[in-house]
Amino acid sequence: MYTKNLCIYSDSVNELLARYGVKFGIYKDNTFHEQLFPFDMIPRVISAEEFAYIERGLKQRIKALNLFIEDIYHNKRIIHDKIIPEEFVYAGSGYLAQCEGVSPPRGIYTHIAGIDLVQAKDGTWYILEDNLRIPSGASYPMIARDLCRKCSPQTFRDNHLEDNRNYAKLLRKTFDYVNTEGHTVILTPGRYNAAYFEHSYLAEQTGAHLVNGHELTVEDDKLYFVDFSGKKERVGVVYRRISDEYLDPMNFKEESLIGIPHIYDVYRKGNVALINAPGNGVADDKGIYYFVPKMINYYLGEEAVLKNAPTYLPYYQEDLEYVLMHFDDLVIKDVAEAGGYGVFFGNKLENKAKESFKELIKAEPRRFIAQEVIDFRDIDIMEHGEFVPRKADLRAFVLMAEEPMVWKSGLTRFSRNPDSFIVNSSQGGGFKDTWVLSR
Amino acid sequence: MKRLNFRYHLEIDFDIPVKEHRFTLKCIPYSNSVQQVESLKYNIVPNYFLCRTKDSFENESIYGSCDKEHNVFSVDVWGNLKTGLSEKIEMRTSYEADIYKYQTEHTKPGEELKKYSEELKKGYKKQFVKEDILKKAIFYMHRLYEDYTYESGITEITTTAEEAFKIGKGVCQDYSHILIALLRMERIPCRYVTGMMLGEGYSHAWIELCDGNFWIAIDPTNDLIVKDCHIRIAVGRDYKDCMINQGVFIGCGREAKQRQDISVTVEEIK
Repeated sequence: MYTKNLCIYSDSVNELLARYGVKFGIYKDNTFHEQLFPFDMIPRVISAEEFAYIERGLKQRIKALNLFIEDIYHNKRIIHDKIIPEEFVYAGSGYLAQCEGVSPPRGIYTHIAGIDLVQAKDGTWYILEDNLRIPSGASYPMIARDLCRKCSPQTFRDNHLEDNRNYAKLLRKTFDYVNTEGHTVILTPGRYNAAYFEHSYLAEQTGAHLVNGHELTVEDDKLYFVDFSGKKERVGVVYRRISDEYLDPMNFKEESLIGIPHIYDVYRKGNVALINAPGNGVADDKGIYYFVPKMINYYLGEEAVLKNAPTYLPYYQEDLEYVLMHFDDLVIKDVAEAGGYGVFFGNKLENKAKESFKELIKAEPRRFIAQEVIDFRDIDIMEHGEFVPRKADLRAFVLMAEEPMVWKSGLTRFSRNPDSFIVNSSQGGGFKDTWVLSR
Repeated sequence: MKRLNFRYHLEIDFDIPVKEHRFTLKCIPYSNSVQQVESLKYNIVPNYFLCRTKDSFENESIYGSCDKEHNVFSVDVWGNLKTGLSEKIEMRTSYEADIYKYQTEHTKPGEELKKYSEELKKGYKKQFVKEDILKKAIFYMHRLYEDYTYESGITEITTTAEEAFKIGKGVCQDYSHILIALLRMERIPCRYVTGMMLGEGYSHAWIELCDGNFWIAIDPTNDLIVKDCHIRIAVGRDYKDCMINQGVFIGCGREAKQRQDISVTVEEIK
């Protein structure tokens, strides 16, 4: 790879990213901190052939997940055929009874999915997590690529890679496919949101209006955008970057101030598309993850192309025994947590904590999953002018219009701490561009 | 079977004018295998628009708004129904009851209810040999009726089953939440019902449980199996899914205080 020319611009690219507002806001101890999201110039490179394989696996996975969500909120075949125990669905945090019987425009629940993968030392790719609610991160490699091209156009002439600037086009296609007639808006909770940069950047790139809840209103069974002069215009698509619970105080959390009263009623009548569909978190629950390969088999009659990391469900007696016996080799995850929180490595706990944790798992088996620790392949980052190896994952983006579309790039996140496997940006990690070679 | 005439009146008085008022009302009885609506009218003032919809529990709902400043908001619903057409409510789908097996924030039991549940389980075993969902529910209802005291003004609408049980006194909502919590602890599907009852007074709440084929309604506040004296309005996992009136608004100048008045009259047409 000819990336040498690129690396010398590290400081200027990072400076520009900071100026554009590529930052991460984090709430900790009740105060709001904004921190930069450090960009490493060395890209992760994936060959065309390898990416074609990943793409095939991701499309298959998203198709199955979408069918699963539809099934859960309608006929519940997969439960009655005893593929998935019902309590994993109904007692999970992502399931919303308010979505029972509701069909989103064109039957799409997972318009934008961020699927986290890692590559093991032997080269095998594993799925770590499906993020279906409001996955963020596509804007970072988009803008980083753009800045890199400006700094070193030569690099992009010398290397033959897929242009990733088409994300906005794919997103627009996703919006337009489900539009119920009207404007497309991106609904943001505001500039104190961790991903505000992304909201504004995607609005700019797709030509959608960036709005907050006060600019939208429901009248009869339609949703309207109210402009500064009070004029109302119909809205057909809302790419909402606020979570289900806060979307509509009349249908979900009543104390929500950022939501739009009755937006969910308009959606229920099929008069607006909400991206992603409310209630789709039922499929990205860490407990449900275990069942995704079974889902693929059940709905599509196919074997899963991409493997899950070997996972155990303490809910099953056999798995519980395995988890207790091999505790030190496993990573235990609390299914209700996200963003790198609630993740415990068995061997890093002290003896006393270990024992009480084991008791907790026995008492609340449904709450945890356990996974083999995958020794993932290190990739190099630049630190003080030197190359050092770090753990990294890949968030691939799958968008759904008539067919699933995989963005030929992705967000590569790395841990800045050499001993850590946790790469989440909310935990202070950095990111890289992801190059998919075109030949 | 009875023919009933009902009148439901809700009035909210705000201490200062409010604006941008949005509301959802689940206040309309609908026809099913146990009741048939013969006539129904409603009047909601003030309103800018009103829209009809069905929620995910198949309840008839009206939602709407009033942006202009107002001090009073009122809802009137009146009509005639035939009740007691059958003892059992038909299921719409074979899987309809699934979601009602699981506790919600309001029904989630704590230590006290768990203890009580153990006690009741033992009591039932002593008296009956076979497991029978309906018998069990009625047995639990009788026991709760004996052990719990009806008194209004002690609990609030946000009081959970566990809290209400600890206090030992409450109203129809508390009786219903407690019985639901007890049945769901044994994974018996059951749901919360709001409605009205023959006589004068307030709106009422009771429960329905599913025996696998049908829903059967029992009224723990009155310790009886529902026949033809109840008018069913809405169902859900707990009171929150079937609140008769729900609203958000902005007080002009400061936070508004509200006073709610509800009066219900149900008479038999002979």
